[in-house]
Amino acid sequence: MQPRLTSLSEAISIVRDGDIVAVQNMATQSAPMALVREIIRQGKKDIGLVVLVGGIAVDWLAAAGVINRLTGAAVSMEQFGLCQQYRLAVERGEIRVEELSESLLNARLGAGARRLPFLPSRGAIGTDLIDQNPKNLRLIDDPFGGRSVIACRALRPDVALLHAHRADRYGNIQVEPTAMWPDFAIMPKAAEKVVVSVEEIVDSDDLRRSPEKTKLPGFMIDAVVEIPFGAHPTSFFPIYGYDSQFHRAWVSVSRDRPAVEAFLQKHVYEPRVQSDYLQTVGGDETVKRIEASGQSA
Amino acid sequence: MNGDWRDSPAAADYTVDELMVTTLAQYFGNGDQVCNGMASFIPVAAFMLARRTHAPELVWFASSVGLDPRPERIPASTLEAPLWRDSIMYLDQYRDFWDLVQDGRWITAFCVGTAQIDQYGNANNSVIGNRFHSPKVRLPGTAGLADMCSIDKDLYFWVTDHSPRSLVAKVDFISGAGWLGGGNERRNLGLGGGPRAVVSNLAVMDFHPQNKRMRLVSVHPGNSIEQVQHATGFSLLVPESGVPDTRVPTVMEVELIRNAIDPDGMRLRGFS
Repeated sequence: MQPRLTSLSEAISIVRDGDIVAVQNMATQSAPMALVREIIRQGKKDIGLVVLVGGIAVDWLAAAGVINRLTGAAVSMEQFGLCQQYRLAVERGEIRVEELSESLLNARLGAGARRLPFLPSRGAIGTDLIDQNPKNLRLIDDPFGGRSVIACRALRPDVALLHAHRADRYGNIQVEPTAMWPDFAIMPKAAEKVVVSVEEIVDSDDLRRSPEKTKLPGFMIDAVVEIPFGAHPTSFFPIYGYDSQFHRAWVSVSRDRPAVEAFLQKHVYEPRVQSDYLQTVGGDETVKRIEASGQSA
Repeated sequence: MNGDWRDSPAAADYTVDELMVTTLAQYFGNGDQVCNGMASFIPVAAFMLARRTHAPELVWFASSVGLDPRPERIPASTLEAPLWRDSIMYLDQYRDFWDLVQDGRWITAFCVGTAQIDQYGNANNSVIGNRFHSPKVRLPGTAGLADMCSIDKDLYFWVTDHSPRSLVAKVDFISGAGWLGGGNERRNLGLGGGPRAVVSNLAVMDFHPQNKRMRLVSVHPGNSIEQVQHATGFSLLVPESGVPDTRVPTVMEVELIRNAIDPDGMRLRGFS
């Protein structure tokens, strides 16, 4: 097996300007936030984002001018409200949205993962999502005479970004069995390249003790990086919950451009390593708080 | 909970959020399977109330992740732990959950709040205005709404701000298919299920069995038919026999909601 362990900056150097980048995320959960911050720091441009339900990661990428198109089912920070920088950028025409339902996105990625031209879905028949998107969605007849279905064209992201619980230096990725929002099933298999941050790098022998937890094989992974609390401020069960205080702090500045820039300066551009980042978000006190709310899962 | 919730007298001090919860709860019975998505405090309270009163066998997928959970109370998020506490099963979103959704036998009902709903029960959570690109207002997006609405589910809508902005003649964008243009249009596309009821802060509506236009079922005490019509962006069908007042919550239902299900008042979020 080839070593896949690398540095954060080398891992993200895989992403090229103009790429389609798929990011694991469900509102306030499971986003590879350290990878997202590094994309912003490296000044990537014209990125097309793929995300099931994007949260603060999408708002930051929009605020930093990294993305100019988005394929996804929704963008929301749930209890913390709409992503304002994203919303404004879409309304100004700076980000072009391809809106899909969750089934349609999973079908597009599923076709990509299986190297099929499309997969059919029954989701969203009758909605304006179909007429809006003839490039990737078509209502087609069932060749066997049943009901019409929507053909969802294969989507193959250039790079997938994920966060996981642990890996060895060869990139074998383990995930704790918990409430399963993170997408290890479809999205990473559809992507040409896969970059994963993990809470900890462990010895391969540790993985061998519980191979049922290994969800992605190292040969599929292009880079793995060790970043404890790498999903902060989103939740990553069972280790930690979402950071309410930090989400609220972002929401409180997110309509005001100078305050947005100061916020990104403090929490994204300046802290280049994770230990520095954790200091800017409250250090040990924050770690204890989010670990406690992870326990409640 | 003992069976005596049925005999409890009407509460004198109920609030409209509680009335919406008790009204919605009546639609979910022992044979149903429901799930909830983001910021869905009113539906979650209704499911939890139904399970504690008339429908102990109601199957609930908390956050669409945790089957048959036992949360102590409604937490700050309906999409995060600890709502799914003590579930009997965690569902992988991308296989277990969405596979179940595709089959009309499972997850029989869906309860959702959207930015706009129209007179045929079509829903919009995508954009406001007539442009999809560079829209006047970008909304969160359809998420799972478009799937639930097109795949054979009974659909229930909750509206905290019944107004001509939220109840419109025609939605700006169909992100969830209702009865489409009315009549048989939905069935002709091969879609089962469909919109069953709308529970707002003013009234309860359903849909005419033939033409599928929204129809007044009951008006919450303190409101008149005229007030409800005035707050609606299209002409509601009103039965010639008139409409009754909505049943008010009982003392026991109010106690359950306030003290056991939602002591932190999360259900008030979303009311302006």
